[in-house]
Amino acid sequence: MRAREIHAGLHLLDRQVVRASTGRLVCKVDDLELSGDPPHVTAILAGPLALGPRLGGVPGRLMVAIAELLSPQEHPRPWRLPMHLVTELGGAVEVGGDPEEPALEAWARRNIVAKIPGSGAEEEPRERPARHGQAPAARLGAYLGKPVLDSEGKLVGSVADVRLRQDGPLLMEVQQAFTVADLIVVPHWHSRLFGYERGPGGRAPKLVSAIIRGRFAGGRLVPWDQVETPAPPAFRLNVPASRLAPLTDLYEPDPRRG
Amino acid sequence: MKKAFAVTLGILTAIGGFVDIGDLVANALVGARFGMSLAWVVVVGVIGICLFAEMSGRIAAVSGRPVFDLVRERLGPRAGVVNLAASFFVSLLTLAAEIGGASLALELATGVNYLLWVPGVAFVAWVVMWRVKFETMERVFGLLGLVLVVFAVALWALGPDWGELAGQLTSPPQAEGAPTYWYYAVALLGAAMTPYEVFFFSSGGVEERWTRKDLAVARTNVFVGFPLGGLLSLAIAACAATVFLPVEAEVETLGQMMLPVGLGLGKIGLALVILGVFAATFGATLETALSCGYTLSQYFGWQWGKLVRPVEAARFHTVLLVTVVLAAALILTTIDPIMVTEYSLVFSAAALPLTYLPVLMIANDPDYMGDHVNGRFSNALGTFYMLLLTVVAVAAIPLMIATKAGQ
Repeated sequence: MRAREIHAGLHLLDRQVVRASTGRLVCKVDDLELSGDPPHVTAILAGPLALGPRLGGVPGRLMVAIAELLSPQEHPRPWRLPMHLVTELGGAVEVGGDPEEPALEAWARRNIVAKIPGSGAEEEPRERPARHGQAPAARLGAYLGKPVLDSEGKLVGSVADVRLRQDGPLLMEVQQAFTVADLIVVPHWHSRLFGYERGPGGRAPKLVSAIIRGRFAGGRLVPWDQVETPAPPAFRLNVPASRLAPLTDLYEPDPRRG
Repeated sequence: MKKAFAVTLGILTAIGGFVDIGDLVANALVGARFGMSLAWVVVVGVIGICLFAEMSGRIAAVSGRPVFDLVRERLGPRAGVVNLAASFFVSLLTLAAEIGGASLALELATGVNYLLWVPGVAFVAWVVMWRVKFETMERVFGLLGLVLVVFAVALWALGPDWGELAGQLTSPPQAEGAPTYWYYAVALLGAAMTPYEVFFFSSGGVEERWTRKDLAVARTNVFVGFPLGGLLSLAIAACAATVFLPVEAEVETLGQMMLPVGLGLGKIGLALVILGVFAATFGATLETALSCGYTLSQYFGWQWGKLVRPVEAARFHTVLLVTVVLAAALILTTIDPIMVTEYSLVFSAAALPLTYLPVLMIANDPDYMGDHVNGRFSNALGTFYMLLLTVVAVAAIPLMIATKAGQ
């Protein structure tokens, strides 16, 4: 059986995280924590410290600065949800377990909402130890938009999305981790593919599809073993640009036609 | 029988909920200045809102995801935050206009200055959002808003020259310049297609836990209710065209906008139209305030909604409280609510494509929709509207500057 393949940007990042047992909303997948070599996804990161760097620019830095200023910890880290808790990836990401509550929600409840009559507050919710990241780990969000240079130092493009394959090490003996399998590289900066890089299934309406596909006509699919140095500020490849596979190899069969 | 009842109720709610301060102001202004020559824009707007409301309702029913979830997911954090800022700003401005409209209706009913009503209206609106169930809230104010049908009755009672009205459909008055004409066309389109309507509609679908079984009911509500709401808008414009256009009078206050009903139906008509305007604007106050909460919560992934107790959606309820206070404060600066409405319409026209593009994309994504992806007809129409909305968005702000907001 082939391992499951998903696109990090399309299927994971920015999706809603939902508690499987109650349907309550937990957070967004603001970023993904990577570790090991080849890198695999170990946790979902959320909150302003994860979203800020992905937003970039002044708003992003402002978001990070404010979150660090207000955090009680000395070295605040993004809110972390271990990947082995994930039970399903669909329109939303479902997680098991009992994730702790974000600080802003607790603050808003304690200081504003619970003080108003009729809020439904009964008891002080139990405080649980915060589960924040330990070591500063790599983040998948930092891969996106990064330039890619081939073995001769020529610019190939920038990373538009990352293909993940579920064939990594076992996480807590529950499920296999998603490892970084390929980089989807497009010739434009900050290009989003909007899901139109997939097979013939999701390619309507025609005009929208044609405009977006036209923007990444020269796109390349770079397997992780062709990447020599993943160090910032760019990915350096060990092959010349001419030997890279075109993006057309990404097509999946249309699920509606089996 | 029970199902027929639900469908009827849903349609009636959609008619009443369609008309808000924006539709009221835009149609009365346009009717008085341009007669029925911009009626085609209302038709275009109604078809557009039907199309995208149906898509977002279908997505909500099949995947359980509301519209702003999709905006963030498909456009990414950066374009998403731009859309969030624009949509939140427009919804807040509209919320202020609705609070102003409801207060003005109370002034007309009681003679007490509208500024004294603003804090009361804002407080009652917040209490309703705090305590009342979603379904009850939507139904009560939607049905009360239906009283606005008096505009149609008044039009019939006024006995206009129907041939003259029909003649206006194709020939705009010569006195007005082309930029002004197009400026009001943009405002009318903004009034019919305001993004908060789809935020509210799809989030409401998620709150009421729609499934595939509810698709038929949701579709009927949209395809019958919204066009009938559009007819109501046209009746408002026709009333203004009958009374004000021949004497070349400009409509500037909410009181003047209701005047044709008084002329046609006397005191009872006037009382009913004041009630209708109050219900429509107060209902829309709730919708826009909730939309502010929905957009912000759905972008950041917070727990939102009225299905859970307020303590369990603390950030959502904090946002509701803060936006209602801010909007009331804006109206209390004695800024003219009618002017706020006009500006909010044009800004919302400028923000339209960023909201509707991800809806169109997800409605075509088989990962989300399975067998329920868009058909060819929806896609052809959807593509046409994306092009149209892009042109409108680009033209909206320059037109506003060039015409000094339609003067």
